Formats: sequence, structure tokens, C-alpha cells
Amino acid sequence: MDAASSLAAILFFPSGAFLLVASLAYEWVDRKLLAQFQNRLGPRWFQPLADVIKLLAKEEVVPQGVNRWLFVGLPIVGLAAPLTAALYIPLAGLAPVFSFPGDLIVTIYLLSLLTMAIGLAGSNALGRFSLVGATRTLTQLFSYEAPFLLALLGPALVAGSWQIGTITQVASQRWFILTQPLGFVVALIGLMGKLELPPFDAPEAETEVVAGALTEYSGRGLALFRLGKAVELVLGLTLVAAFYLGGVNGVAAFFLKTLILLLLVAGMQAVLARLRIDQTVGLWWRFGVLLVLVQWAITWLLRGAWR
Amino acid sequence: MEESPKTELFTVPIGPQHPALKEPSHFRITVDGEVVTDAFVRLGYAHRGIEKAAESRNWVRNLYLFERVCGICSHIHATAYCLGVERLAGVEAPPRAQAIRVLVAELERVHSHLLWLGVAAHEAGFDTLFMYSWRDREAIMDVLEGLTGNRVNYSANVLGGVKNDVDAAQRDAILRAIDGLEGRSRHYLDVVTTDALFLQRTRGIGVMTRNQAEVMGAVGPTARASGVTRDVRVDAPYAAYDRFPIMRIVETGGDLEARFVVRLRELFESYRLIRFLLDNLPEGEIRGRMPRRVPEGETISRVEAPRGELFYFLKSNGSDTPERVKVRTPTIYNLTSVVKLVVGHQLADVPMILAGIDPCFSCNDRSVQLDDTDGRTRVWTWEQLRRYSLEVEHGRSL
Repeated sequence: MDAASSLAAILFFPSGAFLLVASLAYEWVDRKLLAQFQNRLGPRWFQPLADVIKLLAKEEVVPQGVNRWLFVGLPIVGLAAPLTAALYIPLAGLAPVFSFPGDLIVTIYLLSLLTMAIGLAGSNALGRFSLVGATRTLTQLFSYEAPFLLALLGPALVAGSWQIGTITQVASQRWFILTQPLGFVVALIGLMGKLELPPFDAPEAETEVVAGALTEYSGRGLALFRLGKAVELVLGLTLVAAFYLGGVNGVAAFFLKTLILLLLVAGMQAVLARLRIDQTVGLWWRFGVLLVLVQWAITWLLRGAWR
Repeated sequence: MEESPKTELFTVPIGPQHPALKEPSHFRITVDGEVVTDAFVRLGYAHRGIEKAAESRNWVRNLYLFERVCGICSHIHATAYCLGVERLAGVEAPPRAQAIRVLVAELERVHSHLLWLGVAAHEAGFDTLFMYSWRDREAIMDVLEGLTGNRVNYSANVLGGVKNDVDAAQRDAILRAIDGLEGRSRHYLDVVTTDALFLQRTRGIGVMTRNQAEVMGAVGPTARASGVTRDVRVDAPYAAYDRFPIMRIVETGGDLEARFVVRLRELFESYRLIRFLLDNLPEGEIRGRMPRRVPEGETISRVEAPRGELFYFLKSNGSDTPERVKVRTPTIYNLTSVVKLVVGHQLADVPMILAGIDPCFSCNDRSVQLDDTDGRTRVWTWEQLRRYSLEVEHGRSL
């Protein structure tokens, strides 16, 4: 791959500009679906874009007592990390832009960086809501991250590779949702925990801690964090679809499969009430980890039969 | 600041402006991690001087003033005031008027409880229930608008009777709305008693024993959820509740779930009473004659607002304006229990427990104490009070 096409892949397609547009579109679909489930009208199609533009145009208030560099820098890290992770993910049904053995681990680390950045941003501020929100964000990180990682490693185990491209190829020959249903459930719900969607929105529960870790953020910083989350929604859905729903070969399959997953995610957001942070931790470590370990044990035992 | 910065760090201020509060009020929650160790409440951010304002308005104008004490249960305030003034004047509203008062009061209770259900669900992060219950509440708002001309502050009462009669078309509209709502309410009762995730947030949370409820003077559905058999409609029937009795709904759980169940079960009792009222409305006048001046004397008036017992004290000096009106709303009785109950719970439970009493802050922000240091009490005129409030508000005098 020469330099020009690499640059085009990073800046425009399938990463970069295309990804940003897709994330805003997916955010809209999510919001619209949730609104329809709740008997509301929901936003118009350009609303996520309008939100970002509005936030970018607004003044960014830097509160007293924060580390300025961290305050300004963390949102950039928060958006850059998922954008980097996108390079290793089969977006739009195409092969990943870059690939090397073990890129799955790097991708998962990069996807966690956003949550880390949000947690740090909250701890950086002096407001109590930010601090409580940051504590909850990081607590939640420790609860869903391990089960989510293990759930994604299930298909990797069968494929015998830690390279996303190879796993996707194996996954497109057999649907892992059929052979590893528990892993699929944990991965999808783990994704909701990662994105702090209801019922895992305790870190930003507005009736308790206002906006949680991001309470002090306005303008540019908030826009970048929101954009980062929207990007991560698309990446997460792509990963789960690629691993469990028979891979994403082709643009049509990519959109179809990720949108079906988004429908599931929006449905769960509508019917579930928010969990307290201690209940979230309990749920993940009591049931999430257990389920995924059972899945692993079954996979390990039957591995020979499937190959 | 008497506290050291270290302990201050773990004090979470909720209010006066906070997304969990729809009205201004201040709670200082001291937490150890996520667990609440202490709570402190400060009220008075929405004091409007209504009692003082009443002293410079005549008896009729005050009716509309007191209706504005509470935006949700406005009718019950006007009813309490009317019943008191009528007793002072020795006038009794005709039976049909009393029945219509009860009819509107029960419709108002339905709308208030559905509104509360939505707010409480929102505090629990269950926005779908919030949206659904508020959508269904619209049916009641439409009925009330058709009946009185207004969605809120209905002005159904006048001194000596009611303003509007109920005709056949309105009767049918009410029955249709009630029929639709009954099914929905049954569904909501199912949801709050069976939804596993929601029950995690309500069952065993904020438990108030019967003894605690009695000691802390809780009223209304909050007290009835703890097994206290206290309901003014049953204990001291007013208006038409003696001819159209209502059943007292009591639960013994004392937790948030019981508070949900009590309010939802009260809805069914209200539906039953509304149907019965519409079928058995007494014939006759809807207004009696009311003198302009009210004879000297004083009285109290107690009614059951959607949130609990509402208390009015009225004193007349024989002129066309009251000498003193004192209003005590149910929230102030119930609020003390919140500060007590949140200790030991998670921070996340605080908004839920607070919402559990169905607080209405601007209703209870009323009393202003004017004690000088020398023990002398002053009586301020309306003009003085107004000037004082502007000085405090803007730091300037008129």
C-alpha cells in the first residue's frame, strides 16, 4: 500500500471522514429509534451534526483549578483513540486498512482509551459531580472491560488467531452467534456498558450527578468526547457483527448487520431501567464473567469438533 | 466554611439548581464513596409571600391567588379555601356543587399521580415509563380543560359553589378517558411490581416503618405506604365525601415500591369514585349566595391533596379581606423523612427517595419568620415585604 492510498484510507474512506459521517448517522438512528420506542418524535436527521457544530462554535469554559493541558488534551485523545482503532477494524465491509498479528488486543486497548480519557477528565475537574462521575466511569470500566474482552476473544480462540482480519474470515464461514450465543450476549451488552448507554448510564445519570465526568465540559471538549462516543458505537457494532454475525463481507452486509444490532441496542435502552453503579459491577462480575467463562469452557472442549 | 477541604470534598450539593429537582431546594449530601452518611435540607428558594399577599386582597380574589400555591394540585387548594370561607360565612354550597368539587378533585388526583409516576420513573432512569405515563396523562388534562376551560389552575370553584356544571357530553368524555386510563394504569401497576430491574431500584429502598412515619408526621400516600391509616377523605369527610365515600388505600411495605403501589392503587379507587359520581350527581343548583363580607371568626379547613393532608387556617375580622391565612402543604410534613431515610443508602437512591414523597417545593416555601433579636415581632405590610424582597433580590431599594 503506497503512501497516497494509505493517507486516503486514513483521512477519507473507510476511516476518517466516512467514519465520522457514519457515526453521526448511527447516533441519529439510535436516538430516533429510542424516541420512537418511547412514543416521542425524536430528532431530525441532521440533529447530531447540528449538535456537534453548535458545540464546536461555543465558547469553551475552562474551570478554575484544572490542569489546562489535560483539560484541553483529553478530548483530543478521546476522539483520536477510536479513530486510530478504526484502522484495524473491517469498516464498511472492507478489509482493515492496517493489520498485523495481535491487532485485536491493540484495538481493544484503543477502544478503552476513550473511557479512560473521560474518567481522567472528570478527575481533573474539581466539581463534585465530575469527581463522582469519574469514579463511576472508571468503576464501570473495570466491571465491563474484562467480560467484553473475553467475549471478543471467544471467536479468536476458535480462529486460532489474534488478528482481526483472520478472525473475520473464519467468522464469515460460520456464524459464531449460533455456536457461542453466550459470548454474543455478553459482547453486545458489554458494548452498551462501554458506551454508557442505559441501563448502564449511572456514570452520567443526570438526576444524580448532572453530566457525570463531563459536567465541566462545554464547547469543543464536549463535542470531541461526544463524537468519540459516536465513533466507538460504530466500531463496537462492527466488531460484534464481524465476530458473531458471520463477518461483514460487503457494504450491504455491513450496514444490515450493524443496524440490526443497533436496533437491539436501542430496544434494550428503552425497556431497561438504570442500574446503580454497585448493581452494574455486581451484574458484570457475578453474571457477565461467569457466562463468558462458561462459553470459553464449552468452546475449549468442543474446539476439536468444530475445526 | 467551618469544614476542612478534605471533608468538603465528599459533600455533594444537590440544588438549588439541579437536574433532579424540578423546583429549587437545596440538599447537602455527605457521602463516603457512594454511601450517604448525612443529609441536610435547606428550603425557602421559592418563597412567594402568598399568605401576606392574601391579606391585601378580598375574599373572592384570594380564591384565585390560593389556586396558584400549587400548579399541580391547584383545585384542592381552592377547595380547602372555599370550604373554610363558606364555614366562616355560614354558607353551604349546594350538594351538586360539592359533588362536582369532588369530581374535579379526583380527576386532579389522577393527573397528579400519573405525573408523579413519570417523574419517579425518570429519577430511576426509566424514561420509557416516564414518556408513556405523561402521554396518558394528557387524556385527563383534556377532560379537565373540557370541564373547566383550563388545563391547570382550573378555577372550578367559586365561593359558595362551582363555576361550571357537568353536561352529558362532558360526562361521556370523562368516562371515555377513564376507561382508557384504567387499562393503562393496570399495566403500569404490573410494570412497577414485576419489572426486575426497576424493582432493584425500589424494593427495600428508603424503608420507613409505621412507627417512623407516625413520629415524623408523614402524610398522604407516603404515610399510607408505611401502613398508617390516615386519609382526610375518610377520617373527616369534607365536601361530598360523606355521600360518596372513598376507600383508604394502605400498603405495609414502607419502601419505594409500596409508595408506587399505593399511588397506583389510589388511581383505581379514583376511577371508581368518578364513575359513581357521574352516575349519581345530585340535581339542583351549583352555586349558593355568598355575602361580600365574612363575619368575624376563625376556622380551619383540612382536605386530602394528592400528596397528603392540606391544612388551611383562616381568620376574618369582619371585613371583605382576611386578617390571616395560614397554609400548610403536605410536602413540609413529608420532607423531614427524606433527610432521615437517605442515610445509609447509595447516592443513586437519593433522588428516588426524594421523589418518593412527591415533593412540591414552591408549595411549602411559605413561612417567613420576622423575629428581631430583641424578641419583638414586627408585622410587615405587603408594600414593605415587596420592597424587602426586591432589596434582597437585586441589592437595591426601590
